[in-house]
Amino acid sequence: MSETISDNEQNVEPVVSSAGINRRLFIAAASLALALLVGFLFSRYSAYRNVQESFYGQALVPAQEAFDFHLVDQDGNPFRLSQLRGKVVLFSFGFTHCPNVCPTTLSDLAKVYHSLPENDLQRVQVLFVSVDPRRDRPDVMKKYVPYFDKSFIGLTGSEPQIAEAAKAYGAFYEIAQDSAEKPDNYSVNHSAFTYLITPSGKWKLIYNFDQLSDPKKIVQDIEQALREPF
Amino acid sequence: MKRSWKFNIHCFLLTLFALSASAQPVVPDNSPLKIEKAWIQAVPEVSDATAAYMRITNLSASPLRLTDAYSPVATTVEPMITTRKAHDGQEIMGMQSVKELLIPPGSSLELKPGGDHLMIMGLSVHPNEGDLIKLTIRFAPGEQKFDLEVPVYKEEPK
Repeated sequence: MSETISDNEQNVEPVVSSAGINRRLFIAAASLALALLVGFLFSRYSAYRNVQESFYGQALVPAQEAFDFHLVDQDGNPFRLSQLRGKVVLFSFGFTHCPNVCPTTLSDLAKVYHSLPENDLQRVQVLFVSVDPRRDRPDVMKKYVPYFDKSFIGLTGSEPQIAEAAKAYGAFYEIAQDSAEKPDNYSVNHSAFTYLITPSGKWKLIYNFDQLSDPKKIVQDIEQALREPF
Repeated sequence: MKRSWKFNIHCFLLTLFALSASAQPVVPDNSPLKIEKAWIQAVPEVSDATAAYMRITNLSASPLRLTDAYSPVATTVEPMITTRKAHDGQEIMGMQSVKELLIPPGSSLELKPGGDHLMIMGLSVHPNEGDLIKLTIRFAPGEQKFDLEVPVYKEEPK
């Protein structure tokens, strides 16, 4: 069919014919490229939609390599996030003198932990990182964090160590000093997110404070994270 | 005779009041407000502060203001608001002591985790799950005072 057309064209004007073939080739190539592009975009969109639909937490697409923080655990030993490879890690930043947001976060995370199927308990670790290292020494963390569940680990560290960890996860905190007369009597304003790290050490999800009140949905995310890769 | 009849009625009402007072939280029937779902967050012994949560409904036709609170287990109890401000596109939560919390007529004030609350500071007695903590809340106008016995929970009761 195309030969017939090109023959006809050849009869009329050979120069136009060669230009015509080039044009057709160009159109075919362009169509193919366009089809590939549309297909590619559609597949990315589907992947994006799947991720959006299947996680309750806000998903990082793609998941990032989780920053391997160096902190100090509640027994005073050095602690690195990478020690927990093979487990889903949930952690948040806070401070022990916090009467409202932090005990709520930890009791919500305890609810999540207690809602997990028994054989997943060993594969999930909850951490609480202090943004108030001046008052929250390891012994304080030990008396505070395991209260919510005995498996939970409290982390503290030097100010630069904590600043580095907070920065890597985009967490913010600032000392709110009420009075200069009582230097130990201060509050800490802070972002109240909970971060989910996958067993392979990918930072995959973020929960805001309000989302933590639905433990069942977080358990579903954890189950899914345990089945990595997605 | 007339006087004694009135006296009897008073005795009867007082008895009723005393009976209703044995249930907690204690709010008299003719009260301009209703207090429900009161609870205190159980915290580890190392904590010197916790928070009380509840729903307070203003049944009267005029605004009420929660001005003050007191508990024998703490040095101070302060009304607080939780602040949520944006910083680099994320939400920073903090808290701020306020002079009073307003409850418009017919509305409820929800004291809840992550929101307004009564901060209980300088704990002298450690509140354990299952304990009942005495808490007195004062409202304006007038010197309206309500004594509650608030249960302590480790996790928010649903």
